[in-house]
Amino acid sequence: MTKHQILNNSDHRDLRVRTETGVEYGDNVMACLTVPAEFHRVQGCFPIVFRRDVESDKLSALALFGFENGENLFLEGERWDARYRPLALTIQPFLVGRPATDDGEAQVHIDMGHPRIAASGEGTRVFDEDGMPTPYLEAIAEKLGDLDHGYRESVGFFAALERYELLEPFTLEVPLNDGSQHSLVGFQTIDERRLASLDGDALGALGALHSEGFLLPIFMALASVSQFSELVGRKNARVAGG
Amino acid sequence: MIGSVQHIVIVGGGTAGWLSACVLAARHPELAITLVESPDIPTIGVGEGTWPTMRDTLATIGISEAEFLRECDASFKQGSRFDGWVNGSAADSYLHPFTQPPQGDMRDLLAAWQAGSADTAFAAAMTAQHATCARDLAPRQRTMPDYSGALNYGYHLDAGKFAALLARHATDRLGVTRIYAEVIGVVTGENGDIAALELRKYATLAGDFFLDCSGQAAILIGRHFDVEWIDRSDVSFNDRALAVQVPVAPDSPVASQTIGTAHEAGWLWDIALPTRRGIGCVYSSRFLTDEASERILSDYLRAQVPWVDPDQLAPRKLSFATGHRARFWERNCLAVGLSAGFIEPLEASAIVLIELSLMALAENFPASRTTMDIHAARFNELFLYRWDRIVEFLKLHYVLSHRDEPYWQAQRAPETIPPRLAENLALWKEQPPAIWDLPRVNEIFSAASQQYVLYGMNFPVPTQGITTTPAAAARLVDVRERARALAAALPANRDYFIAAAARAEPRAAHGEFAKR
Repeated sequence: MTKHQILNNSDHRDLRVRTETGVEYGDNVMACLTVPAEFHRVQGCFPIVFRRDVESDKLSALALFGFENGENLFLEGERWDARYRPLALTIQPFLVGRPATDDGEAQVHIDMGHPRIAASGEGTRVFDEDGMPTPYLEAIAEKLGDLDHGYRESVGFFAALERYELLEPFTLEVPLNDGSQHSLVGFQTIDERRLASLDGDALGALGALHSEGFLLPIFMALASVSQFSELVGRKNARVAGG
Repeated sequence: MIGSVQHIVIVGGGTAGWLSACVLAARHPELAITLVESPDIPTIGVGEGTWPTMRDTLATIGISEAEFLRECDASFKQGSRFDGWVNGSAADSYLHPFTQPPQGDMRDLLAAWQAGSADTAFAAAMTAQHATCARDLAPRQRTMPDYSGALNYGYHLDAGKFAALLARHATDRLGVTRIYAEVIGVVTGENGDIAALELRKYATLAGDFFLDCSGQAAILIGRHFDVEWIDRSDVSFNDRALAVQVPVAPDSPVASQTIGTAHEAGWLWDIALPTRRGIGCVYSSRFLTDEASERILSDYLRAQVPWVDPDQLAPRKLSFATGHRARFWERNCLAVGLSAGFIEPLEASAIVLIELSLMALAENFPASRTTMDIHAARFNELFLYRWDRIVEFLKLHYVLSHRDEPYWQAQRAPETIPPRLAENLALWKEQPPAIWDLPRVNEIFSAASQQYVLYGMNFPVPTQGITTTPAAAARLVDVRERARALAAALPANRDYFIAAAARAEPRAAHGEFAKR
């Protein structure tokens, strides 16, 4: 059950957060949100795909960890088996909150229903005994700032992808070694041919994308598709290992 | 091989005896080991504080940390705090932590410390451990591998339970033979070695090598061999102690360090276990009557553990002689533990000396009688050296004091200060303690220990050759940041033990009953 609160040093003075990895801390997810600013780190480990929300019609970018809900092929017991952990995971159980007026100052919110909220005296403190932020909260705040900045940047990024029609529907049929078949549907990826056909003129499409800082993340998302073979390999290893 | 050493006989079933049995059995599985303990003699429990060396020792003999903590009611010890030793004022307190100062030349670090804020204690500037001790935090998280921590640590433990755990481990898992019998005589061989022990109501017990772990009785090294006792009470005055154990509430904080509080003619120890606090008053009978010591103890109890009525407690009275044998290894017999020597428990040297003795023996074990005298001579030289260093280091705590009671003035009398300590104090006016002053392998009290006591007790920092460097200043900034991070990430000792206990029981989700 989510239970969002604005983080403050009176209600949360003695709060501790579990920073380990594991199913019991909610790490058994097949994907998490990612932002263009971290695509270059994400693409080294995970496929980056895009999804359009049916109701809001808004796009989002995801780092993919598995093929079905609850499956995280990078979670090995209590170990995160990848060089990188996307921002949206590392900041849990915190979130960026904004007051109703849209341009208000960003706030640190916390989900008190999250399994990372410590029930015992173990875990890392958010505030010290004087109510000052601990180094842990300082690091979280910095990551939240990065993520918030990334979300705002995403709006323009997605608009550019749509403007230049750079996304194509993506379906992956995954034949596993044991003969079973999985398929991944409903996602989109960068349309490589469409990208290649864009005008290379400095004043044209590529120049515009570059000047906005979108070209690099587009190529990173494109490159990340090669991580699907890693993901399939992990899935096969899990199936073989029972 | 003629004269080969195969059968080890250990006399005494306290901490020293069972630790010896476990270490030798684990490191020399080829040996046959028999431990004989008297059915009537209760173990004294030589000490309830260990050095960080105990982690290696336990890992070597194959006991898991969780089992050790649970079975011995043990807690984490991150050092010793000394209250009232400099002048007895309310603010008079310093920490001797187990974690070393940062890397680098101590002269540079001292300069950086002096250049920083004036009210930062030396130990607080040099290690994050000061911050964790001040908050009663554990030195590790439960998810860390056994015997590793974010900071250096040893243990506080229940000595009786510790000996019992070691005994079970030695007999059940390491193949040590246990005999309950009283030793009533020694059979001497033609060469003067011990050939066998005569036991009451038991067959004579032959052996190739004998360990005297019989405590103050010193059945073999003292009663049989009559090896000379070197008295050190001229330097170390304390000869009496009063000891009590006080139960604590199951949710009360557990201190991270031994607390030693100075009084007019000695000091009080305060050792926190999860279930109780061991509190005692050490004093010199030359300067304090037994009645006065009882008053000092009950005053302390009233102030520190007000939920207990001191008049209902019956303190155990101990008297002890300070000193050690002239030789610890005589012929085919080695004395380990109290039979080898005793000094007040000010820096918990008893158990670490047992460990060091066993390490020296196990790593230089005589395969035959031929080499035994060579090993004996080297061992004796090394451990006389170690006793001298212990005596000097404990004395250091007294000579730096400014307290003015007769006892404390007498502690500073030049004729009571060992020459080597007097030399070091002269050197340390010009340069901080360094490896040059303590050059042996496995010094019990390293240069860092001397520094923590010296600068904890306001010994003047040398002025010559002391320069501030950006590198040293940066290392002290690192210490501060690490202290902040650890203070946030480490659990309180009490919470650690509660979580460990919950883990050991059938698990129920928070607020639910366990499913059948």
